[in-house]
Amino acid sequence: MARTLQQALVIVVAGAALGLAANALSPRRIPFLTPPKAPPQDRDTVSLEEAKALWGSGTAFFLDARATADYHAGHIAGALSLPIEEFDDHYPQIQPVLTPDSAIIVYCDGQDCDLSHRLMNRLRELGYHNARLLVNGWTTWHTAGLLTHAGNQP
Amino acid sequence: MKMVNLILRLIIGGVFIVSAVVKIGNVQVSHAHGIQFSHVPDLTQFAQDVANYHVPPHALNNLVAITLPWIELLAGGLLVLGAWKRASAVVITGLMVVFLAAIGWALAHGYDIRCGCFGTVDARRVGVTALAEDFVLLAMAAWLAWRREDSTVQTTETNE
Repeated sequence: MARTLQQALVIVVAGAALGLAANALSPRRIPFLTPPKAPPQDRDTVSLEEAKALWGSGTAFFLDARATADYHAGHIAGALSLPIEEFDDHYPQIQPVLTPDSAIIVYCDGQDCDLSHRLMNRLRELGYHNARLLVNGWTTWHTAGLLTHAGNQP
Repeated sequence: MKMVNLILRLIIGGVFIVSAVVKIGNVQVSHAHGIQFSHVPDLTQFAQDVANYHVPPHALNNLVAITLPWIELLAGGLLVLGAWKRASAVVITGLMVVFLAAIGWALAHGYDIRCGCFGTVDARRVGVTALAEDFVLLAMAAWLAWRREDSTVQTTETNE
């Protein structure tokens, strides 16, 4: 038993050492310790009030970053589906309606959901500088009793 | 029983090798382009997946992402090769307990996050399916780690 645990420890230590060595040699090495998280910038997020106003004015595009199945189950009325996990497959359908200056609000669900952050960053890389996110968008929106739709139509 | 153990070793070891390789190689899959290995491995995305669980202290997420895939690869490889079988099964059992706890934690907090179970190749969200799969793997690994030594096993394990 003691022998087994010793060997197990060797596996863990050797594996960790290999990982550290591989990372040290990689041209895209990541820092050994995670740098502190940058606090979310105000310019990245949009409040529910502002989102509501933009939705009412019809001047902003709402993009749902969640999986297609989640979109079908329910989404902000008028929102288009652009799952970040399948971005390359869905973007060509969305691209024609967007311009670089379009006001875009992306959302997913949950305080810690990373999908909308990733979608926003991806869109900004593509030049859509007015892309912002509604934190915890789906829950915030539908618990506020605002208009939602289900199915594959916006 | 020897046959059962062999099959279990190949299954668990295989799963761990695949999950390690896709993480280390930053394998991407898309409907448009199929499976792709990135030319330069990049752990950034996997580190983000780890961070989304909010389980390790923030500063240690990178360390986990750097070391975990190689520990998986080593343990899975040894299990398949049949060297240090029990020790690698113990390591894998330990990892499965950690994975289950992390998934349970994420579910309990309602995090809608990518599982990261198979690195970025696997876009699945954390959910009951991942939990169930991990339970099965845990049971199999625990069996290999704690099975009683019988005469057949003894003879094949004299070199351990």
